[in-house]
Amino acid sequence: MDTYFLMQIINGLSSGMIYALIAIGFTLIFGVLNVVNFAHGEMYTIGAFAGIVCISTLSWPIALVIIVALAVGGFSGIILEKIAFKPFRRFQDEASLKSRAMRESTLLSSLAVSIIIKELLQHFFGAEMQSIPVQYLMNDPIPIGPISLSSGQFLILGSSVVMLAGLQYVLYHTRIGLSIRAISNNPLGAKYVGLSVDRTIIATFAVGSMLGGAAGIMVGLYSGAIFPAMGFAPSLKAFVAMVMGGLSSIPGAVICALILGVCEALATNFMTQGWSDMVAYSFLILTLIFFPQGIFGARRERV
Amino acid sequence: MKIRNVFLAVAFMAVTLMASTAMAEKVIVLGYSLPLSGSHAQYGEVFRNAAKLQLDKFNKSGKLKGATVEITFEDSKSDPKEAINIARKFVDDKRIVGVLGDFTSTVSMAAGRVYGSEGMPQLSQTASHPDFTKVSKYQFRNITTMAFESPFAAKWAASLGFKKFAIIAIQNDWGISSAENFASAMKGLGGEITSIEYFNPGNRDFRSILTKVSRDKPQAIYLCMMYEEGAMALQQRRQLGITSQVFGTSSLYSPKLLELAGKSADGLMLSTTFMPDSPEPNVVEFVTEYKKRYNSEPNMFTAQAYDAVGIMLDAIAKVGPDVTRSSLRDALAQTKDYPGVTGSTTFDPVTREPVKNMARMKVEDGSFKLVK
Repeated sequence: MDTYFLMQIINGLSSGMIYALIAIGFTLIFGVLNVVNFAHGEMYTIGAFAGIVCISTLSWPIALVIIVALAVGGFSGIILEKIAFKPFRRFQDEASLKSRAMRESTLLSSLAVSIIIKELLQHFFGAEMQSIPVQYLMNDPIPIGPISLSSGQFLILGSSVVMLAGLQYVLYHTRIGLSIRAISNNPLGAKYVGLSVDRTIIATFAVGSMLGGAAGIMVGLYSGAIFPAMGFAPSLKAFVAMVMGGLSSIPGAVICALILGVCEALATNFMTQGWSDMVAYSFLILTLIFFPQGIFGARRERV
Repeated sequence: MKIRNVFLAVAFMAVTLMASTAMAEKVIVLGYSLPLSGSHAQYGEVFRNAAKLQLDKFNKSGKLKGATVEITFEDSKSDPKEAINIARKFVDDKRIVGVLGDFTSTVSMAAGRVYGSEGMPQLSQTASHPDFTKVSKYQFRNITTMAFESPFAAKWAASLGFKKFAIIAIQNDWGISSAENFASAMKGLGGEITSIEYFNPGNRDFRSILTKVSRDKPQAIYLCMMYEEGAMALQQRRQLGITSQVFGTSSLYSPKLLELAGKSADGLMLSTTFMPDSPEPNVVEFVTEYKKRYNSEPNMFTAQAYDAVGIMLDAIAKVGPDVTRSSLRDALAQTKDYPGVTGSTTFDPVTREPVKNMARMKVEDGSFKLVK
């Protein structure tokens, strides 16, 4: 095969991996609450900013910076839940749990929180791109034959595998994972057998936002770009991947995110990049028409 | 009783004092339409900083007797719809005699139609699309157009022997006109353009575009984008191991580019009108004042806004305190040899296009060096 196409596939996989990192947290929260968390892209931004603060003021090693981003992301997720989701779950009866109005109001409240976070970050850090010291930048060329990889691609690939494996372990081998799956499958049933719905939802937000926060700083180190609006474009792609993957299948969302990234990179061969966003939207439309359940969404169990 | 009387007297005196100063000092108002939020807010912020600096300097200088000038800032969010609303608001405000802004050509031209039809002079610090001054006779700008700058860069590149180019440009009015002007100038000089790649505003991943343009093995790449995108493109170019020479538009000129791109920026060649380390006394004064007040380095955009406000205020000073929208327009049109920090500026009497001098620069060892 032409090395050109090989290189484009690698470019595509690395941007697809970024969409996948965001899509994991997105899908997890959707699976449990059945609502879209529009502030998920901001958890990603917050993680990135927490990381840059550690780097520029404390100059900690990268591993520690990622752990801080993870922690700050998880903490922000819990606060987000308390502000934007909890107030709309006041009534625990069957009718309100299933009501559409409740779902739509949380959708809007998470959108509002996302705008507030973006404006606050812009107020404190300015709208300019934050620069990352060169020694932290994960962009060193690693030539392998005719193709060129970068250290950041290995970091993102490695950590997404670790995160995905860790998440699967938590979901299938721990008590909290069991309750997350139970609630995502049947919230009322889970409630009636005595599971604490609130606590599980908080745990889901913490886990999902931790992954988002870590993704933010890793992408920041890889692409060298941290700014308040950075979460918007990739979270839109992650959203498309989530819908394509069947809304609540995590492996489905990851695979679709990779497909999306590769197709976008290959599309630049046939059209200018200015049009390549069309790839994501046409995939979204085609999925909705031909696979209303999503490509990987046919199974009953959701997380 | 006594104390109350004293209070009353003091209050009365204060009111009369305020009223008398208000009567003596006429206030002339300018509007400034600029992005203070949204994805271009970082540019709007420095425009506002520069405008305040220039305005304070002007009001203190006493060039305009019997009046002070004020600037009203309105946030256009870099959105043409917002800018049109602001334009209507400015036009309806009888106190406003002239308008500065907006940032991008697209937004400035959308608002420009309102200003043109209502006879309000508009001076943009950065709108460089060739059609901007063709909107009406009320449009002015303090930036050389890409119809001037791109051929300037093409001639320079060709004189160094670079004749086979790939172009990467942002997909907006400015980027398209930069790329097209460069392509036609290059072809006119006997060069070749292997491809023109446009990318969406907001894109930060240039890997697939860079991989694509380097397949045709161009001698050099011409980047038409803002410095933030430019820094990303330069970094990713180094990561992909692409070694072709890179030329860029003046919009890449910013200390922030060096900070963001690090050693990836080495070898970048570009044309510019503003150099903060220039030894010219007015540039030194501007840079030190700006640093003192805002604690940051001014860039080319800051300087563009500083001079645009300066040109506008100079025109007001020429007409005097009884300035109107039409007399201000005529005074602007007669601007000749305005001694700004972006070089001396004259508006061409026929086309109203600014005539300026450009400098050539190359990045070496992480800093911009002037090319003789």
